[in-house]
Amino acid sequence: MSRRFAVLFLILALTIASALALSYADFARPAKGLKPIGLFYVENSYFGNLTAKSPEAVTAIVWDYRGLDTIYESAVFFLAIIGGLSIFRLESPQLMAKEAKGLTKISKTGSKIIALLIISVSASIALHGHLTPGGGFQGGSTLAVAPLLLIPVFSITRLVSAGITSKRLVIARSAAMTCVGLTALLPVIKGLELASNLSFYPAEIGGELISGSLFFYNLFEYLAVGSGFTAVFLYLSTFEETYRREIEKEVGT
Amino acid sequence: MNEDVFAWSLVLIMLLTNTLLSIYGITYRRSLTKKLIGLTILSDTANLAFILIGFRFVQPAVPPVLTELSLESLEYLRQHAVDPLPQALVLTGIVISMAVNALIAFGIIQAYRITGSTDAKVVVKHFSEEVRGE
Repeated sequence: MSRRFAVLFLILALTIASALALSYADFARPAKGLKPIGLFYVENSYFGNLTAKSPEAVTAIVWDYRGLDTIYESAVFFLAIIGGLSIFRLESPQLMAKEAKGLTKISKTGSKIIALLIISVSASIALHGHLTPGGGFQGGSTLAVAPLLLIPVFSITRLVSAGITSKRLVIARSAAMTCVGLTALLPVIKGLELASNLSFYPAEIGGELISGSLFFYNLFEYLAVGSGFTAVFLYLSTFEETYRREIEKEVGT
Repeated sequence: MNEDVFAWSLVLIMLLTNTLLSIYGITYRRSLTKKLIGLTILSDTANLAFILIGFRFVQPAVPPVLTELSLESLEYLRQHAVDPLPQALVLTGIVISMAVNALIAFGIIQAYRITGSTDAKVVVKHFSEEVRGE
């Protein structure tokens, strides 16, 4: 153990020494200005001719200026989650004879309140994604924390009997991803380019700034990521003997 | 010595150290779980490197978000905002690395259930024997 610490200490000392050498050699100079492309996005995200009407430049890039990248990235994410779930391939993941016990009443009540707060905060992160830092992915990841908290406190059996099954979550995820695709595809019907923003979608609804398609993308991505991660957590929390039984059925050992 | 340059150099060297440590983890450790941990460290290091490319040393450096919808606020952003493009690319990178890591984790857990080990050699031996029908 002490040898490992000695090695780690040596690495840290070497790192600091190299940083000192690098700074004395005046080799690394941090940037003080903004690169032209970055300046373009900052200037155009709300004002300017090529505006996305979003005060948040990062969301404008993610869903508007480089929207196609993000749509394909969502597809990669979707396939990876579906791939992961198909590796586990349970015919009926909710086959559980065990009785739900969960933790004490105090923990259950406390967790319910916290879960409600988590869901509210996640919705705020996602739906204000075009105004403040945040967005669909960040909000969805936060949303998935609520079931992650509830699974150990209430037990997975209780959650499944309440109707939160992985099959439903995968369906919800697929539906949300379809909506993301449709949001990108709808402008084509009007003869516009794929994933067009303000030429098709309104910048404001009822005086509230929604930044065109940015709000819809964030909303659907929020639902897709939240349900996808919840499905993953459900699969990972399913009793080990269920998987063992399934493998024994397939392998026959 | 300029503190900014020292801090910048320190972060650069830390990135390099992190990269080397994660490559060591991926290549030398035999446990698939530790290889996955190495991979996550490597992807996080790459993301941090991207963020650093977009960072600028001004006081204060602010996120590229308009706090007021006015031209004065835009002018302030021109002077103080960090580059938004690397942040958007890193967001994409994080999502993809997270998805790929989840897929690999599922694979490792399933391999452990079937072979009873996360040792790369044992897992590969087990599956190659299975393919050959032994």
